[in-house]
Amino acid sequence: MRQLKHPGAGTEPRRIVQPREAGGSLRLKLSEGADLLTGLTEALVRRGITDAGLQLLAGAFSEMQYLTGQPDESGQRLATYGAPTTLPGPVRLVGGNGILGRDAAGKPLLHCHAVVVDREGRVHGGHLPPNVCKLGPAGVTALVTVIDGAGFQVSYDAETNYDIFQPTGEQAA
Amino acid sequence: MTGADFEAEFEDGRFGRLAVVRLKPDQDLVEGIEAAAMEAGIAYGVVRAAVGSLVDAALGYGEAEDASIVTVEGPGIEILTLAGELRPDENGQARALLQGTISDADAKVYGGTFLRGANPICITLELVLQEWVPEAS
Repeated sequence: MRQLKHPGAGTEPRRIVQPREAGGSLRLKLSEGADLLTGLTEALVRRGITDAGLQLLAGAFSEMQYLTGQPDESGQRLATYGAPTTLPGPVRLVGGNGILGRDAAGKPLLHCHAVVVDREGRVHGGHLPPNVCKLGPAGVTALVTVIDGAGFQVSYDAETNYDIFQPTGEQAA
Repeated sequence: MTGADFEAEFEDGRFGRLAVVRLKPDQDLVEGIEAAAMEAGIAYGVVRAAVGSLVDAALGYGEAEDASIVTVEGPGIEILTLAGELRPDENGQARALLQGTISDADAKVYGGTFLRGANPICITLELVLQEWVPEAS
């Protein structure tokens, strides 16, 4: 297994594991016109949910963008995102996963990766940014695994030189 | 009805506790998830959501003498979807069988079974794992 050097020193432990009670499961459907990330986030926060794991079950976009990773030539990080790829609709969702947590300031933040198929039948996939993935007539359906208490919150990770989600040590939100 | 000769195996059960997990760089995806599950006291489990990236990837497909492996060189391979379960082996250790899709720097998408010891985490893996509690038979 190839191991590459990150800009910062690694810290122990190499995995962070926080046991939590399950907060139940929900099926969530958003309608056409919503933006995928901001729509899912807003809907869940309105329901009082700020910490969850999401499986995207079905959906379609009228237009969307995604990002893929690549080596970071600047040396500041091991990998970075390339320029966004824009797909005109209709684009169908094949599958995806999301983590809803909180940013460094405590505001809700959804991190989402997905696979899609474009109108020519080509398969694409990557990191989906907020405000650029507009849902088409089929909307989107997600299965939400609610975390009872705090799940992930963004903090600076010196090893990778990224602000990333870390499991929080809090037992309750 | 197809009339085909096959067996169906059901396991009654319910979902249990969650584990909120981050794997840091250079942990193997499969072994790291197994170790995280054991740390959380989960021997039977299901991946409920996972987002992350790999340095390089190795995915299995086909079976028996036709089994093959596709390897993809990163770094910065995105894990697009991750699905699968953990079950205990004869020693009670959680063993993971994980399928999913990835994309490389050219936005090409690949799929298959993540091979043990060959999928090092690049930046992070964020994971929500849920315990599966089989009913005692």
